[in-house]
Amino acid sequence: MNPSVPPSTAEYGGDEVSAIVLDPGFSTTRAGFAGEDTPKSLIPTYYGKYSSDGQESFVFGDDIFVTPRPGLSIHNPMGRDGIVEDWDMAEKVWEYAFTSRLTGPKPGNPLQNGLNDVPEGELSTEMEGVETEEKLLSDSPLLMSEPGWNPTKAREKTIEIAMEKWGTPAFYLARNGVLAAFAAGKASALVIDIGASNISVTPVHDGMILKRGVQHSPLGGDYVSSQIRALFKSNTPQPISITPHYLISSKTAVDAGQPPQAKYRTFTPERAPDASYRTLLEERTLSEFKECVVQVWPGPNKLSAAGPNGVSNEELAKSNPGRPFEFPDGYNQVFGVDRYRVVESLFDAKAAIPDPESVFPAPTPAQTVPELIKNALNGVDVDIRPHLLANVVVTGASSLLYGFTDRLNQELMQMFPGPRVRISAPGNTAERKFGSWIGGSILASLGTFHQMWISKKEFDEHGPNIVEKRCK
Amino acid sequence: MPPFKDEHILIIAPGSQVTLAQLGLPESFTPARFRFPTRMFPAEKKGEYEPYKIRERRHELKDNNGATAPEDVEMKDAESAQQDGTVKPEAEQAGDAKTEGQDTSGPVKQGTTTEIFYDEDVTTDEGAVYPIENGQIVDWPCFFALLTHVYNHLSPPFHTPIMLISEPAWSARDRETITQFVFEKFKTPAFCLMDSALAVCYGYGTSTATVVDVGKGKVNVTAVTDFLVNEHGRGIALQGCGGDYMTDRFVELLGSKGFSREMCEQLKRSNITELLPPGTPLPGTAATARQGANPAATGPKDGAEGGSTGPQTGEGNGDGDDDEGVLDVAAIVSGNTSEFLANREKEKAEKASAKKGGADQAGKPLRLPNSKKERASFQFEEYVRIEPEKDTPNAPVRYMRQSREIEVGVERFLAATPKQNSADRLTGGLLEDIATQIHHTILAVPDATKRSELWDSLVIVGNGSKIKGFTQSLLGTISQKYILSPSATMFTSEIPSNFSTPLPTGGTNTPAPSGQAGPMNHPAGHGVNPLLVAATHANNPMPGTPSMDPAMSHHRSTGHSQTPTSVKTLRPPEYFPEWKEQSNTNAPGAATTGGPGAPSGGHGMEEAVFLGAQVASKVIFVLDQGLSKGFMSRVEYNENGPSAIHEYTM
Repeated sequence: MNPSVPPSTAEYGGDEVSAIVLDPGFSTTRAGFAGEDTPKSLIPTYYGKYSSDGQESFVFGDDIFVTPRPGLSIHNPMGRDGIVEDWDMAEKVWEYAFTSRLTGPKPGNPLQNGLNDVPEGELSTEMEGVETEEKLLSDSPLLMSEPGWNPTKAREKTIEIAMEKWGTPAFYLARNGVLAAFAAGKASALVIDIGASNISVTPVHDGMILKRGVQHSPLGGDYVSSQIRALFKSNTPQPISITPHYLISSKTAVDAGQPPQAKYRTFTPERAPDASYRTLLEERTLSEFKECVVQVWPGPNKLSAAGPNGVSNEELAKSNPGRPFEFPDGYNQVFGVDRYRVVESLFDAKAAIPDPESVFPAPTPAQTVPELIKNALNGVDVDIRPHLLANVVVTGASSLLYGFTDRLNQELMQMFPGPRVRISAPGNTAERKFGSWIGGSILASLGTFHQMWISKKEFDEHGPNIVEKRCK
Repeated sequence: MPPFKDEHILIIAPGSQVTLAQLGLPESFTPARFRFPTRMFPAEKKGEYEPYKIRERRHELKDNNGATAPEDVEMKDAESAQQDGTVKPEAEQAGDAKTEGQDTSGPVKQGTTTEIFYDEDVTTDEGAVYPIENGQIVDWPCFFALLTHVYNHLSPPFHTPIMLISEPAWSARDRETITQFVFEKFKTPAFCLMDSALAVCYGYGTSTATVVDVGKGKVNVTAVTDFLVNEHGRGIALQGCGGDYMTDRFVELLGSKGFSREMCEQLKRSNITELLPPGTPLPGTAATARQGANPAATGPKDGAEGGSTGPQTGEGNGDGDDDEGVLDVAAIVSGNTSEFLANREKEKAEKASAKKGGADQAGKPLRLPNSKKERASFQFEEYVRIEPEKDTPNAPVRYMRQSREIEVGVERFLAATPKQNSADRLTGGLLEDIATQIHHTILAVPDATKRSELWDSLVIVGNGSKIKGFTQSLLGTISQKYILSPSATMFTSEIPSNFSTPLPTGGTNTPAPSGQAGPMNHPAGHGVNPLLVAATHANNPMPGTPSMDPAMSHHRSTGHSQTPTSVKTLRPPEYFPEWKEQSNTNAPGAATTGGPGAPSGGHGMEEAVFLGAQVASKVIFVLDQGLSKGFMSRVEYNENGPSAIHEYTM
């Protein structure tokens, strides 16, 4: 074998090709090979845009958190409801998700891989016009996930991108609720997905979603962030402002509650990153806050209700020791009962901390988790309700809020008294965060799934509408 | 399959600049025996590569046979094509020779024929192809040619398992391609592709560490927990943060004073360059005034101690070959290498001793540590071409090494300061960028209880980190920006909430149990009882957490406090004397460079990745024999194809 010629990859084109599973979310996009237990590639769905030398450049991946760039602004191709708004950019972000760690950029592009370098001038003219560029996914089947309320148009657009732009030989679009149920090893389940921009309740029966029962509301992790911001604003004695790390060059230790003493970094106005960049990095600090401080009142009953022996729950919560948190500029404070209040409105709409400037309108009772569950169950056949209640699957990264499953359990017990309510929530962080991806990984590696794929040929024959017929 | 033997194991660790390789595991593990520059030169035949620059030399012979003339023309074409695009003195020489030849042989043009000699120019890197850039493989044919060169050079026996250290930047597809190449080209019975960060952990003998690998143009930051590489949030090939950053910064600072890039590179490697921990005043406070006032900083005096000058290349071959005609290139390749290596060893020793002397002399009059001295000088070495003598215009190209002393001011402490021209990055300086990445990476580790351990086990490797004071300055930067103040970490939430608050010990104020959100007063934040701190900071799983859900296990992302409360580096293991001896990277002589392209000697724990590779090979190939799927055997390859490597990738 000639040392300077790499082995051709075509030799192993057989059954060994594993599918790529792509699970796009509002906050992060997950991608990996089917059959593996965690997605190899986890990138933020947010992307950065800036102009350098008059040219527009994009930043994808974790790099946006690490490297500020002049005039960098942050965008998200997804809408708050989890439906793609900017298709061009969504395609680019998704592409980055699987090229960065899995397939490599343009794996077989013969124009760039150096194998076919022809001295200049020798390129025959007939080559022009022929489609020389091999497509990104031309040798991997692709399984993608979608929210249960994805409109037909978006579904068709998705398969068009996969088939026409990426050239995938086989494609399938699965509901992320179904996939999360599979990840928990269940074909029928009531899936409660607490994401960044949405919380959803999806009844799944025998591997199919029951469309009439699907409920969703915007009280996700980002909503909790907005509640935390509202708390900071109303903080006494002075409101807390978050200054992200990138604006700080060094800080000095100060005592709790004392004003911060930090040296700040300044950028000239024309080079300073956009306000949206600051917001994104503030979110990073807020998620640290959520991990370290925020706690869901475990129940029983609401935080505002009175406990069993007459002492109000709020008093009880106050007696728990507070949790300290230090902000990037060095300001630190102990958070007492407030750390319960910021998430209470997921269960009790009245407990929301009012903030007129927030992008989130005050929640309505119908948007809270217990009401969503109730409505979801009301939307399905009476006969299968007990079965669903016995198989409640909790997934989504925001469900990792401390005490969330305890509270959910209490709420379910109250609404549906009886011994048959069972929550299954994986204790492993990764399994909770990547529930629907893992389900996709399982599904796509099943031998019996092979007949489900929509092949390129079928797509060519029937057009994008085939996705409506095949992926139910 | 018969068991593998220690002496048969082949380890290759490719990097952007240097590829480390070794055949066999010694009794006590040593730094890599072979260091190949990671570059190849395009051979005359398209798509093939040579390890050294091959120069053509033509010798014109008077000949009356006119039939050779067309051939002559053809060759010239080939030559100009090969030299295409590179500006170099050699082209001139060729031109000279050509015109000369034409002048003299003008009337008898048809009567000359040209003999071509191929010289190996081991000193140059012009026209070289670097297959790895910023960790990414950018030129596959060249990369494979390099692997083949390394393999052939070490010529392992048939039953040789191969351990290849993989860069984090390689995608899954890249790994498959490499696997396929290794199995099909080298016919190896067993192959292991090991992540470089994991190899460092093996080298340090730790299961959990934050590995910061400072390379040439990039930095990788990896959090490894329990021998598992955390892929999410991993800092992969953070661009513009490697050793080149410091060279670039020097060019920026000193370029106006006549420093070339090569000078800056050598200055960076010299032992007078140092990174001072943040907040340390520069010697001679009026540094800025001086910068403008003293342009004589460069006053390069021609060192008379160019003692080790001498012809470098083509010795023996070129002189004796005049009558041999066209040479077998392969013969040169193999013949000259060992000779060259031997030569270089000798020179290195000479240089080291010369260096020692020089350093002593420079050090004596002042007797100040380098960081207090306002000015210091370093030895700059360069290769100067010896002009061919008139009577033998076709003699092989010769070089002379000259060294001279160059004095530098406080700029030598500013290598990591923010660059003026940072393109489209808003950099806060090299160290701050790396610190940001470390923070991001550790924060992304899902198992929050591991984070504080990760902060306490930084491992900084890679040749970019060899600059004196790099580690200290990085730690300083991190603690300035990220370390939490004691008052924020007192009474942390690691106490399970159903435990009562620990009783106050002398002098501490306990937060009132009904802790209102108001300002908390911690006058004694610094005088905390160490036992209490230990109790609250330990990463113990919470035994008494109220848990109703049996599935709610230890992996909860709460019940932990913020990190970091401290940041430390891990101590390297001490039971490998060969590594320890070398680890003082700033000893005189250790940091010198052998001129353009020649790798420098003296490598210590910044190449811990190679130590780890040896430890891991011993475990995987010899002790474990494949029981725990540490490597992929050829049988498995034949059955499952290259994509199965992911199940074995460590």
